[in-house]
Amino acid sequence: MDILAGIPQLIVYGIISGSILALGGVGLSLTYSILGFANFAHGDLMALGAYIALGLLALFGGLGVLNNPIGPLSFGLGLVLAFLIALVLTAIAAILIDKMIYKPLRRSGPVIVMISSIGVAIALRNILLFFWGPQPWYYIEKIQISMKVPWLLGVRIKPDELFIIATAITLVILLHLFLTRTRMGKAMRATADNMELARVTGINTERVILWTWGIGALLAAAGGILAGIENKFITPELGWQMLLSIFAAVILGGIGSPYGAIVGGMVIGLSEEISTAFISTGYKPAVAFAIMIIMLLVKPTGLFGEKS
Amino acid sequence: MEHFIGIINYIVFFAITAGTYGVLSLGLNIQWGYTGLINFGIAGFYAVGAYTSALLSGPLPSAWDLRTFGGFELPFIVGLLGAAVVSGLLALLIGTLTLRLKADYLAIATIGIAETIRLILKNESWLTNSVWGLKGIPSPLYNPIQHGIGAFLKGHPNLPLWLHDLIFKGYDWFYLLLILAVLALLYFIIERIIRSPWGRVLKAVREDEVATEMSGKSTFKFKMQSLVLGAMIMGIGGSLYAHYARFVSPLSFRPLYGTFIIWVMLILGGSGNNKGAILGGFIVWGLWAGTDFLTVYLPFSATQSAALRVVAIGALLILVLLFRPQGLLSEEKRVSTILKE
Amino acid sequence: MSLLKVKEITSGYGDMEVLHNISIHVGEREIVSIIGPNGAGKSTLMKTIFGLLKPTRGKINFKEREIAGLAPDRIVRQGMAYVPQVENVFPSLTVQENLEMGAFIRTDDFSSRMEEVYELFPLLKMRKRQRVGKMSGGERQMVAMGRALMLDPELLLLDEPSAALAPKLAQMIFERIRAINETGIAILIVEQNAKESLKLADRGYVLASGEKRFEDTGENLLTNEEVGRLYLGG
Repeated sequence: MDILAGIPQLIVYGIISGSILALGGVGLSLTYSILGFANFAHGDLMALGAYIALGLLALFGGLGVLNNPIGPLSFGLGLVLAFLIALVLTAIAAILIDKMIYKPLRRSGPVIVMISSIGVAIALRNILLFFWGPQPWYYIEKIQISMKVPWLLGVRIKPDELFIIATAITLVILLHLFLTRTRMGKAMRATADNMELARVTGINTERVILWTWGIGALLAAAGGILAGIENKFITPELGWQMLLSIFAAVILGGIGSPYGAIVGGMVIGLSEEISTAFISTGYKPAVAFAIMIIMLLVKPTGLFGEKS
Repeated sequence: MEHFIGIINYIVFFAITAGTYGVLSLGLNIQWGYTGLINFGIAGFYAVGAYTSALLSGPLPSAWDLRTFGGFELPFIVGLLGAAVVSGLLALLIGTLTLRLKADYLAIATIGIAETIRLILKNESWLTNSVWGLKGIPSPLYNPIQHGIGAFLKGHPNLPLWLHDLIFKGYDWFYLLLILAVLALLYFIIERIIRSPWGRVLKAVREDEVATEMSGKSTFKFKMQSLVLGAMIMGIGGSLYAHYARFVSPLSFRPLYGTFIIWVMLILGGSGNNKGAILGGFIVWGLWAGTDFLTVYLPFSATQSAALRVVAIGALLILVLLFRPQGLLSEEKRVSTILKE
Repeated sequence: MSLLKVKEITSGYGDMEVLHNISIHVGEREIVSIIGPNGAGKSTLMKTIFGLLKPTRGKINFKEREIAGLAPDRIVRQGMAYVPQVENVFPSLTVQENLEMGAFIRTDDFSSRMEEVYELFPLLKMRKRQRVGKMSGGERQMVAMGRALMLDPELLLLDEPSAALAPKLAQMIFERIRAINETGIAILIVEQNAKESLKLADRGYVLASGEKRFEDTGENLLTNEEVGRLYLGG
């Protein structure tokens, strides 16, 4: 009975973690379906975003007023600004990486591009390691006390964590609007469905690819920064540690379905957290992996996947 | 002269490590080079081989160990073969679950497996002693050789210092010979296998799986055999590593050193070419060790220099893929494919 | 005047040459049918015209412009639209969105065009917001053709439009094709169902083993004994 009492709190943690995984997953799912390869450097794009935000935050450090906490949150406008700028800079970085490395390799086939992405992943991670070192860096110095929410089974949640969930929801809504209301968004969905048909229709698939990297990296960076807010600190391993869970989320949801990735992210996040009630926390990533393997054996196209 | 001997001793140590990596590359070459299987979980097979060998031939748990299992103190050869067998069984399990999936799913799954193995090594301390690792792994013929060296040196007290130092390190020379012997043996065995009908089917599977399946061959069976064979070789590599280092812990098998670097070695050396696999092992390890010396001249801290060197290795992989994807020694042409028979 | 002139085209996949020295032409507002046995190279010809395959020799002239070797997205801007045989719709998009994609390169207001397409395919109008992936084969074919029509093309390439369709549906599709032609669009159609497509066509070509065997009006080909025996299944 004691185990079950802790479950509502674990569900809260699962939703927070799931939101972050969902953001990472959507970006990965988009690039996977449109570019046609599993980008093993995606986690490190998340880390890159987190560190760019860190750097910008340090820059704003001189402007003290930006550090004043906003309301109940533990951080100020500085981090919000850093967040927005980091998103754009990470998107630019991803586009450059594609232009210099992935694009020339595309003619050699998706397998080669995938192998190269491991090289990109390791290089990115170690560039971060070079500049910032392996020790944890903190976005926020203060410790925040979690509030109790009596009408929700007495679970505890911090204002920062509400911010994380709210931000994730906002980004997902914005993405949804983009994919369903804008011309480029629909073109992206069309290209994810069938790239050759998209070309036949006259869609400029090269442009679609640029937008895909931009949006994928943007969401990845957001996920990385939110992870930094949740964990309070960041290390260069941040992205790689989440990568397996993110892949599980994408495969669970079905490659090419951004909505599937969101559902997948939440399922994986919840499963991982709830599993800690029953098995050692040391095996959390293995839970995601087990779910992924089961999905691959039962329905490889995922819950929402379409492609045969 | 002593300085020179120091260099020679270092080269022997370097060659042992490079040779071990060469064994791992040969294993990957069967899976990727010849069959087109993407195994990003080399570290898993490597670790399983090392731990198996350590538990089979290592000492019983000491009073301070968390470990309660193992330490059968069996001979080295049992450890070596045991490593191969257990790695092979692991590959069988993994293959059953994942070989029917597409290439990229296999890649993701193997990363997951390696990660799961690493977690097991960290968490199941009754088996593995967790992060404190297994120590005291015996090196083969260590006692007789050291005894002989000791006796020899005692009987010849007036040797010049450099000769004394050289002979003192004599065991390492033996181990180097052992590794080279294993490499040579594996090389010849694999070369024979590859030229057999079985090897030709592997190549056909890699080139055009659909056509091969339609000509009546069960591609699943062949891919499984390739996966298992490659894994067994990786297990042997793990055993060779464990008995030289005499200590293993989960840290020895991180993805960078246990998986990624071997991919760079094979791709640089030449996928589908066994000489290339071994050559790649020596070259990349040489670059890795060499840059270690060079970074002394740079104004960076130790961790920074290490990070820079890793970036260089990552860049090396990308550059090879961009400009010479077939590697240094390209694949040898084989006479006929299964489709022509 | 010839809208499309294909002159002595040789094309194929990699080292395999499928088409040998093919010449055909399509005039304005014509329906031209290409029939022949499996593997004759009909689809290959269509893909070569549309730029999905690069010919090794020969010329392709569309509206007096040389287009051989151009990429599909350039050719589509010249006023030619292509409906592939399989995977010819975007399954996760709605009917409306599929049509919108068809109009992607248009910079003008295409709502009137969309109305025209819905008039041609009234069934689609009722299912505007349905995801195409969930629709039947016949409905998908309509979406595929509607998508191509959004471009207001002068020439429409149809690759086996009735394939995998039940006879009644196939009839409906052929009838729709005639209706499309009546709005002034030339149509080049590759078909397995030789009889029906020749009935539809002004002119036809019979292709076999990558070569042109017969060339005549649709009617004549239908009544031609040899053609009937070899290719129309008696």
